[in-house]
Amino acid sequence: MALSAIRSRVRSLEAYQQLSDRVRYTRQDISAGIPEIPWLPYAYISPFFILFGIFLLFPTAYTLYLSFFNYLGVANEVLLSVTMGPVTVSIPQIANLEFVGLSHYERLVFRDGLFHTSLFNTAFIFLVQVPLMVSVGLATAVVLDSKFIRAKGLFRTLIALPVATGLVAYSTIFLLLFNDQAGLINYVLVQLGLSPVAWLGSAWGARMTIVLAVTWRWLGYNMIILLAGLQTVPEQLYEAAEIDGAGRWQKFRYVTLPQIQPVLLFVVVSSTIGTFQIFSEPYIITGGGPSNATITVVQYIYNQAFLQLNLGYASAVSVLLVIIVSAMSIVQIQYGGEE
Amino acid sequence: MRTETRNEALWKFGAYIFLMVIVVLVLIPLYWMIVAATIPQSEFFSWPPRIIPGLQWFDNFQALQENIDFLNSMWNSIIISVSYTALSLVLCSMAGFAFAKYEFRFKEPLFYFILATLVLPIQLLIIPLFLLMVQIGWTNSYLAVILPWAANPLGIFLMRQNMKAIPDSLLESARMDGATEFQLYYKIALPTMLPSLAALSIILFLNQWQAFLYPLVILQDPQMYTIPLALAELVGQQRVYFDQIMVATSLAVTPIFVVFLTMQQYFIKGILSGSVKQ
Amino acid sequence: MATIDITKLRKEFGDDGEQIVAVDDFNLTIRDGEFLVFVGPSGCGKTTTLRCIAGLEDVTSGTIEFDGRDVTDQRARERDVAMVFQNYALYPHMTVRKNIAFPLRLSTKQSSAEIDEQVEDVADLLGIGTLLEQKPRELSGGQQQRVALGRAIIRDPEVFLMDEPLSNLDAKLRSKMRTELQELQSELDVTTAYVTHDQTEAMAMGDRIAVLNGGELQQVGTASEVYRSPTNEFVASFIGSPSINLFTAEVSGTTLSGPGGFEYTLEDGSLVTGRESVRMGIRPEDMRLEAGGAVPSTVTVVEQMGNENFLYAEMGDIDITARIESVMNPEEGTDVEFGFDESDLYLFDVNTSEALKTKTGETDVAYEKYIGETT
Repeated sequence: MALSAIRSRVRSLEAYQQLSDRVRYTRQDISAGIPEIPWLPYAYISPFFILFGIFLLFPTAYTLYLSFFNYLGVANEVLLSVTMGPVTVSIPQIANLEFVGLSHYERLVFRDGLFHTSLFNTAFIFLVQVPLMVSVGLATAVVLDSKFIRAKGLFRTLIALPVATGLVAYSTIFLLLFNDQAGLINYVLVQLGLSPVAWLGSAWGARMTIVLAVTWRWLGYNMIILLAGLQTVPEQLYEAAEIDGAGRWQKFRYVTLPQIQPVLLFVVVSSTIGTFQIFSEPYIITGGGPSNATITVVQYIYNQAFLQLNLGYASAVSVLLVIIVSAMSIVQIQYGGEE
Repeated sequence: MRTETRNEALWKFGAYIFLMVIVVLVLIPLYWMIVAATIPQSEFFSWPPRIIPGLQWFDNFQALQENIDFLNSMWNSIIISVSYTALSLVLCSMAGFAFAKYEFRFKEPLFYFILATLVLPIQLLIIPLFLLMVQIGWTNSYLAVILPWAANPLGIFLMRQNMKAIPDSLLESARMDGATEFQLYYKIALPTMLPSLAALSIILFLNQWQAFLYPLVILQDPQMYTIPLALAELVGQQRVYFDQIMVATSLAVTPIFVVFLTMQQYFIKGILSGSVKQ
Repeated sequence: MATIDITKLRKEFGDDGEQIVAVDDFNLTIRDGEFLVFVGPSGCGKTTTLRCIAGLEDVTSGTIEFDGRDVTDQRARERDVAMVFQNYALYPHMTVRKNIAFPLRLSTKQSSAEIDEQVEDVADLLGIGTLLEQKPRELSGGQQQRVALGRAIIRDPEVFLMDEPLSNLDAKLRSKMRTELQELQSELDVTTAYVTHDQTEAMAMGDRIAVLNGGELQQVGTASEVYRSPTNEFVASFIGSPSINLFTAEVSGTTLSGPGGFEYTLEDGSLVTGRESVRMGIRPEDMRLEAGGAVPSTVTVVEQMGNENFLYAEMGDIDITARIESVMNPEEGTDVEFGFDESDLYLFDVNTSEALKTKTGETDVAYEKYIGETT
């Protein structure tokens, strides 16, 4: 009320009025002067497509290209030079390369033990983490969707809090929690009369630390998606099932599950893609150790590319990883979409 | 009948217990962050560990600032994330508007082509982007981090979906009222979809705020470090100062928590809109 | 205010391959200050024509002129037309005040104070003066409708276009707004083109009615003209509620015989000379129960409307409808006979559907008599 009173006072001030109107007139004159452009849609999309082409399409294609080469170093040669009057535009060659054909892939598949280890670690994390997170997430969502639960919003907010933590930031917290000597987890275990676990010092412990960390970070995220899916299930279906004599479990099995199957599939597929791209967590929490027990594929790509400068070889790993993940997603969609 | 109601009560009780356990498990790490950030490192490594927060936050923060210039990293993160979000919003909403409300040649193929790139993971791009930035001398620059994902496939997809929901008659009405084509975009289309813009902003901002792998490759000068890089730097130091790390972590997550708690509906809308892409 | 001349308008949709002709060979003059209603079934091209006048669609060929000024190639914003849309198209993010002021702020050099003053005048005229600071979603359907009208009339446009503006309102509000719109239009005296699929609305509102079908203009005329003298069978069947009874009759001499034992001998046989068959039309309100009448039939349903009864019956395999007095209430299944006056009879060509004979009798004798006595 007070605000609008002030505003109407200000509005009645002549100076303000003239200024704002003058601005408007100028804008009108400018817009009246703009000719109609038949290629307007192209003007709208071109900024997007220029950046899209340079920073997304080109790199994707170049990664594939690079995977057949050895990287020898930064190039100084000019690839293409166009002279237009006084201006010369020259596009430098991106890198010095040596063609090696499929030998990167051959080495990856048959001979690179560390790659196999990284793939195994990633697969292990995937096999333990995704079922754990999806089942707990689904259980939480189902309970939270029950009619009798009070303060739903509060529970949802609290459980979803980790969504707001950055990947590196939360990893540092887990580094601290699972510290072998001073971590809270081991303290609790000891207080409970159990023996402390070498979380970061053993292969199994380190992998489980990653699994638990990732589960903590993404549980709320997936619960929100599942909860939204549950809320679209029509209430009449449950009522009909109840009249047909279905118990709690049967309602879940024969109404809930089939109804949210597409959402569940989405959660599984996106979590799968996510776990195969894990990088920050092992980088921060375990450093890939102990003795490469938690090195992931993306971490291996990073090491190969930016620590050892085997850019060609790292590109081949990237391409192979995309192929593996795509294949897994397709299998999951085929299998999960069958019903 | 009586066993029925007792079962029901038991079930309800169990459900609450289950939710409580989940909530406690979720909150413990965050609580622990607060504890570790507010007590000196020495007390932390005592046995049993201290579990009550202290008052040392500011001292720890000063130590952090002396160790590495963390405020500078926050500043870098803010500049990069804000400009990235703004740029991407403009690009995506403009292109999305064209895809939703205009007819032009190759419209469908172009759009489905963008959609197909939604599945391309970031690590497929990093190596060529690195070479590209080295070649044009952009390493250690803001632009090198801001530009690559500004043309965001998910962004254009969401913008197109939401702009399709704007009735054509709204735009036609504005045309008849004397609006230019560009005014249709910024005076009618954009203001009517503020909630979607907010949701997309949150997705974009968060992605950039917590981006790690790509900035790690491109930004090597500590002066240019973003928050995640500074945190990684702290973790990688000879002597690990957990008190400093947790101060830094609390500084990294607190702004996002504030955004999350105040704009939760857009946050959730953002998460869900990412999931409709199937 | 303007006279609108539409000449040989043609509009096709679809650019490559298949073309759909939405409007073809359309010629029409809308007079200065006239309220003209386009009416027809869905897909008849009425909305397309309106959008061509608005400048929202490019015409394929033909011209549109406002007062002799060719506007065919002008954009909507240059034509000085205002339009009210079916869903009102109110800008959801603006208050009522801003919605109404929007066209002025975009295209006139009036000061903010002048604009404000006009907005308030218009709002008072429409009875929404108290709603100016509200957002469209807080308003009822009728109030939104008024805001849309306000936004259209504030510009004092040359031409007013309305695309089914009442169809989102409930029945009671609709008839109220009908009257209000008409009063408003006659007060402002702006040339108005109005689209509706509802023939009752068209009859009630239009100074003249343009009946369209399949992209072609069928007839233009006053309500009474299109009702009494339709140019073809389509117009006859589209105008009037319940719709006219139509069937085919065989001609022998001056006698017409139809399904279910229908037989009628024309007084004026010249109408059907040289024809083997003819389409016949009799309006439900012109049928009366009459022993020995020409239309033998079996009653299927009687709908009691209170002031009158709708009688549905079968004549052979033809369904017929009659409006009769409420005291007449034959039981379902009884055989009845209907009679009619030849002056009320419509005849159409079997092949071209063109009208051969239309109504010459009076529908309401009492009113004609009253008019005759008072003048």
